[in-house]
Amino acid sequence: MLLATLATLMVPAHAHAQGGRKLDIQPQHDLLFGTVIAGVPARTPPVDGARAGQFALTGPNRSTVELVFSLPATMVSASGATMPLTFGASDAGVSATGAITDQVSFDPRLPYTTSLSKTGRLTVFLGGMVTPSASQRAGGYTATVTLTVAVTSL
Amino acid sequence: MKFVATPSRSVAFFRALARRLSPALFGALSLLAVSAAAARAQGVLVAPPGVFIDHRARSGSVELYNPGTQTVEVSISTIFGYPVTDSTGQVTLFTSDHPDSTQPSAAGWLQAYPRRLTLRPRERQTVRILGRPPQTLADGEYWSRLVITAKGATLPVTASADSAGISIGLSMEVRTVVAVLYRKGRLNTGVALSDVHTALSRGGDSLYVRTRLERQGNAAFIGVLHVALERPGESGVGARLAQGSLPLAVYYDLSPRVAIPVVQVAPGAYTLRVWVDTDREDVARELILPSKMVRDSATVVIPPRP
Repeated sequence: MLLATLATLMVPAHAHAQGGRKLDIQPQHDLLFGTVIAGVPARTPPVDGARAGQFALTGPNRSTVELVFSLPATMVSASGATMPLTFGASDAGVSATGAITDQVSFDPRLPYTTSLSKTGRLTVFLGGMVTPSASQRAGGYTATVTLTVAVTSL
Repeated sequence: MKFVATPSRSVAFFRALARRLSPALFGALSLLAVSAAAARAQGVLVAPPGVFIDHRARSGSVELYNPGTQTVEVSISTIFGYPVTDSTGQVTLFTSDHPDSTQPSAAGWLQAYPRRLTLRPRERQTVRILGRPPQTLADGEYWSRLVITAKGATLPVTASADSAGISIGLSMEVRTVVAVLYRKGRLNTGVALSDVHTALSRGGDSLYVRTRLERQGNAAFIGVLHVALERPGESGVGARLAQGSLPLAVYYDLSPRVAIPVVQVAPGAYTLRVWVDTDREDVARELILPSKMVRDSATVVIPPRP
């Protein structure tokens, strides 16, 4: 009890005053690629509801945010083999309603500025393409996609 | 020929296939199962989106919360930055790892405690931001950005010593960048509004309004830019045919663009009203430096649509 009280006292008053104001970015769906045939590229468009990557943003109403993807060019296996991973000019989109059919397309290779909706919501979609070679080595391939969301209205 | 396999089934599927086919034939087919063994990425909730630190306290805090079902590794760093506008009026974030001495950067002497932490599902933690400014710090406002990186659990990429196929583990990280403003001494702010101009979108359904905003005083101006299209000779809410707003922060100057829908507005001449106030929903009122509302207006003609 005493510790809890002390902990409360240690939090500045303005932190409590801003308690209802938050920024939340939650990945909703991984970017998936189904089964591919060797030597045949496999593309997932951002409007593919089953496979496109999805991030849900919640924050202050109408806040402006800058979205920056860090996109790997290759995936690497434990043995050091690589597989190209590419992203095109229309491989990302945003939707204020959250509907995948209601996207404004953008190039995930470039920074993109947008606003949260009147109710403080935004959904970001990401597609991409893998290009396995005809002699692609079997194994587990990994890469990291990073989405940076910067508040620009503060 | 195409095989479809779910992540959990793919290895077994290819093992069965390999048993039926000779190794040579299997290899010749060169079938690759690219499955999605990716771990579900995780983000953290950050509150508030802007941290204000008074020099007398020299500390502030952000609260992090993991609403997900996986443990998240979080790291926190600082960088100097502030919003600017690009040539199209989009507000972007200027950042610099090495700001020069004329820049009011707090990034070099603000530290987060802890800088690395692990948040289990449904766990929250307060991160304290401590200022250790130089003794000679002059009165004024000093800026930084807090970069909060959330990383999900390590990927369970299980394929594939058995050469049965290929699996992909696309790890996804989320970084959240929020503002930190460190304030010392007497501060004042304001904004000057000028150069209001407009352009119609290509289809004529939106009116783009741009204006130049220049900060006054010695602290960032935090407020909202409003634009409204009104019937000529009238004013007030009842006269507004279209309107829009943009919350913003003017650290030096901005030339932002606001789009308002005019597809329902008949061709003709209208009054465009532009004003800037400090009525922000996302910042506690006591943290907003007082400033006078500024306003301007212009006549706008909506042409007949083709």
